Amino acid sequence: MTFGPARLPGPTREGRLDTEREQWRLRRSLERQLHDGAALRISALALRLGLLRHHITTAEPDVHTSIDDLQDELHAVLQELRDVAAKIYPPLLDEAGLGPALRQAAERMERPVRVDAPADRFGPAAEGAAYFAVVECLKAAARDVRLDVVVRREGQTLVVDVVGVDLRHAAAVLGLVRSLDGAVDVAGCPSAGTITARIPCE
Amino acid sequence: MRVALAEDGALFREGLLMLLEAAGHEVVGSTADGDSLVELLAKEPADIAILDIRMPPEPDGGLITAERLRAAHPGMGLLFLSHYAESHYLMRILQIGTDAVGYRLKEKIGSVDVLSDTLARIGSGEIVIEPVLARRLVERPRGERKGVISTLSERELDVLRLMAEGRSNNGIAGQLFVTPKAVEKHIASIFGKLSLHADASEHHRRVLAVLTYLRSQRDGD
Repeated sequence: MTFGPARLPGPTREGRLDTEREQWRLRRSLERQLHDGAALRISALALRLGLLRHHITTAEPDVHTSIDDLQDELHAVLQELRDVAAKIYPPLLDEAGLGPALRQAAERMERPVRVDAPADRFGPAAEGAAYFAVVECLKAAARDVRLDVVVRREGQTLVVDVVGVDLRHAAAVLGLVRSLDGAVDVAGCPSAGTITARIPCE
Repeated sequence: MRVALAEDGALFREGLLMLLEAAGHEVVGSTADGDSLVELLAKEPADIAILDIRMPPEPDGGLITAERLRAAHPGMGLLFLSHYAESHYLMRILQIGTDAVGYRLKEKIGSVDVLSDTLARIGSGEIVIEPVLARRLVERPRGERKGVISTLSERELDVLRLMAEGRSNNGIAGQLFVTPKAVEKHIASIFGKLSLHADASEHHRRVLAVLTYLRSQRDGD
């Protein structure tokens, strides 16, 4: 018995959300793997080199210089790993939540930002999407423009207001939260208004 | 110096142990988590405990362990090691204690000289902060500085930045190509502007100056 051509049904809404949340959990675990694996091994190598340098007599300055150069290279590799890890999933977001992670991002980017966030946690997917959405706004903002970020919970929804932002950035925010069934509202002045993201959360 | 260490990564722990011994320090014990270190130090005296920040008990066992150690052994120095140099952790460390504490990147203590220097400074009661973090905290655009910090001159901020790195007056003078006398004048002016009075010890006032700066950056958040 044969059947005619048929299209498989697409994933259900729940199935699609599960897949998306799994992606964020995967990103977080990749960051942990970098930290606990490669980064720790390289840090240990830097120590071993220091030990080697100590055991080589001072009569061999060339060898000392070579070892110093190797250590500098390892430091550079570790810095690159840190940069990659932060783009995958910021470790401080995992450990301390949105408030500390967003303040740190603003500090790194030298942007004046006021962050008002509860100690409450919202799960890796909602927090990840919210973090990268706010970072998009920070990146796009002029260096001297101060943004206010307010994070709060409304039931099973994480709500983030970014105040003082150019409303053209709302599209980028929506791009980051849409796959989690998030929604974005805009209000106020087009050049310095408020973008509000609502993301279903844990 | 008598030291004990807790670090959950075996490779790094072994490497650090060997480096400490090569540097002539006595390692009274090493553990893979904070709770075992607290138990160990209940029996073995030590001058300094070296703690990985991100270790069991999760998520940041190093900080929880340090609080317990500071309460049980107030005179014991604490050196925190991490893969990340973050002001978030620095503030938490300074809430645990503002003397005889250090916060350094794991890979940056990979020489006998740096390791021994870090331990010696903590042993003498100083705060040792990873230089890259100290610089990041102090080097901010002018418009962002808040409150009393905005009254400091550029030169005074240079001095404060070097104080945040834990440098001595002579060290600061060398970095800025000025005389130690000039550095003293700048520091006296900083203390004055930050209303730090002469009744506290010099070291205490230096730390308070740096803390005032760090807090001025945080409180506005």
